[in-house]
Amino acid sequence: MGSRRQFLAGLLATGLAPQASWADLGCPTYLSAAKQSDGAYVLAGLSAQGDLLFSCPLPDRGHAASAHPIRPEVVGFARRPGRFADVIDCRSETRLARLTPPTGHHFYGHGCFSPDGSRLYTTENEYSTSRGVIGVWDSTDSYRRITSFASVGIGPHEVLLRQDAPGLVVANGGIQTHPDRGRDKLNLDTMRPNLSYLGFDGSVDDQIQLPDDLHQSSIRHLAMRADGTVGFAMQWQGAPGADVPIVGVHRPGSAPRLLAEDDPRLRNLNGYGGSLQFSADGTTIAVTSPRGGVVQIFDVASGGLLQEHHLNDVCGLATNKSGFLASSGTGSLVALTRTTMTPLAQANLRWDNHLIRLI
Amino acid sequence: MRVTVLTLAVGLSLSPLSARADMVDDILDQQILPGMTMLASSAHQLSQVAQTDCQPGSAQLRDAYGVAFDAWISVSHLRFGPTETDNRAFALAFWPDSRNKIPKVLSQIITKPAPSLDLPSEFASYSIAARGFYALEFLLYDPVLSSHGPAAARCRLTRAIVQDIASTTDAILSDWQDTYAAQMRSPTDHYQSEAEVKQELFKALTTGLQVTADMRLGRPLGSFDQPRPNRAEAHRSGRSLRHVQLSLQALEPLAVTLAGDNADLAEAFRAGFATALSATARLDDPSFAGVADPGSRFRIEALQNQVNALRSLAETDLGPSLGVDAGFNSLDGD
Repeated sequence: MGSRRQFLAGLLATGLAPQASWADLGCPTYLSAAKQSDGAYVLAGLSAQGDLLFSCPLPDRGHAASAHPIRPEVVGFARRPGRFADVIDCRSETRLARLTPPTGHHFYGHGCFSPDGSRLYTTENEYSTSRGVIGVWDSTDSYRRITSFASVGIGPHEVLLRQDAPGLVVANGGIQTHPDRGRDKLNLDTMRPNLSYLGFDGSVDDQIQLPDDLHQSSIRHLAMRADGTVGFAMQWQGAPGADVPIVGVHRPGSAPRLLAEDDPRLRNLNGYGGSLQFSADGTTIAVTSPRGGVVQIFDVASGGLLQEHHLNDVCGLATNKSGFLASSGTGSLVALTRTTMTPLAQANLRWDNHLIRLI
Repeated sequence: MRVTVLTLAVGLSLSPLSARADMVDDILDQQILPGMTMLASSAHQLSQVAQTDCQPGSAQLRDAYGVAFDAWISVSHLRFGPTETDNRAFALAFWPDSRNKIPKVLSQIITKPAPSLDLPSEFASYSIAARGFYALEFLLYDPVLSSHGPAAARCRLTRAIVQDIASTTDAILSDWQDTYAAQMRSPTDHYQSEAEVKQELFKALTTGLQVTADMRLGRPLGSFDQPRPNRAEAHRSGRSLRHVQLSLQALEPLAVTLAGDNADLAEAFRAGFATALSATARLDDPSFAGVADPGSRFRIEALQNQVNALRSLAETDLGPSLGVDAGFNSLDGD
């Protein structure tokens, strides 16, 4: 391994190396933050079959990660209210950079690259004002901080690249927190989450809010379909036992649709959507709930709930050719289709909230 | 079949619990199968009574309803397998009903009963809010709905609901007897190992405690500034406190049996359940109306704390021995 690194480093030094890309051998197919049995936190790379390819140490608990569209680089983000994001070279498994947000900001755990990979966008809390912020970083210049703009809401959590138009879609979860109060939620009575479509300059192209009776449905996680349809997963902050939707889909310019609203099995999610993904063909969308120990698969067109799969502490979710891949806090990785759940691998790790597909 | 199972259960319960006895067999033979048998037989009894007397005020009907509802609450934590198939648990128990669907749909049916109302196969396709014990409670105890519309329509609906409850409980019982108990005893397909079976039973225990703490007690408690007595489970029939007691009484033997050879843990469970049950005995507040009164509210909060303590005990002391660690993702979400 060391010799390969030295070899690559030598090539790079001579300027003879072609630009590194995801086509290089040995790159992982999936990424996930995890906690090792010794208590240390890592960002792990997995093969398509779920084999552990590498584990890069993180200074604290991670959350999600994002892959550069061209170069084999990934960014692992700290779990909120953390203040680090590590850029890792997937070939050498070494850290290329560590991002630290400006004083008075913390990360929320998600981010995404611009289509050409030159910019990285991160969700942040400017906590003295509780203003949600999108941080902009230059990946062509050692991930230098360039600028930031408002996320146009409190508590921006996941951010994704739009597929139907240039720009970003941001889930402003609506919950006010402050590092001095840990993870306490400070505004549950007045919270007002939204889904915001922003230009790369921060201009507001569209914004939706749910009806008043769902003002405590924190919009947190997103999924993107190739045609630009956005899936969103919510986390209910009101009284336990309320009948509330957890998954919705939206296309800019139209009204959001809430899925399976009359299906009693929504209660099995315990008010909590953890991760969300569309299937490869875009006809179904799945959501995980670690609190319910369940994955639910919905038909996007009809909005109906098609199938439930039970897995203790399941949270991470990614798309594969035949359906989905899900990971759990107990270290298991399973392949899901509409009707089947097949164990793939069991790691001596606790998989954290999100499983990210790279290519 | 029913008689056989009951005899077997009685026979086993006479022998002392020993480390040699198989944990899963114990739970199946002493708790689950007798509980499901009781549910089906009491549901049939209810259905028969309703055929002869369907008046909301009938003492005989209310008694039979109470016995069958008791039987459901005593197994309501076993929400996997046969109760999950075809949404049977929801068809028996649509609660909480945060959007008040039950009175709306019942009122519609009474006002305009379809001919299909009397066909069991058709009624099974009605909205889940129109089915089960909580819908029936409205017809028997709600001052508005128990006198809403023509008595004949209400009677037809009452009979449709009890018949539907009986056939749902039949389906649950026969699944348990015909296939599911065997699958839990010899895990090869649906469950891959005995550990998975025990984890399912452990989840039933913790979920049962969670429902009692968060829903049965938490919903009426609401917040100090905004107590919600009208959210108490089955408050119209004055069964809210009784459901907490029945649930605790059903969960205690499950917890103790799952503790297995760990005598200290079993004793800790017995003590914890005894504390909570004696607190319920002192409450004297059948529908938790006291949540709105600061003088009695604290006693209901104390009971909730005791149930939560049992839940913590299960998660920290029992879970790891069954291969279930406290949830890395579920405990502190993001």
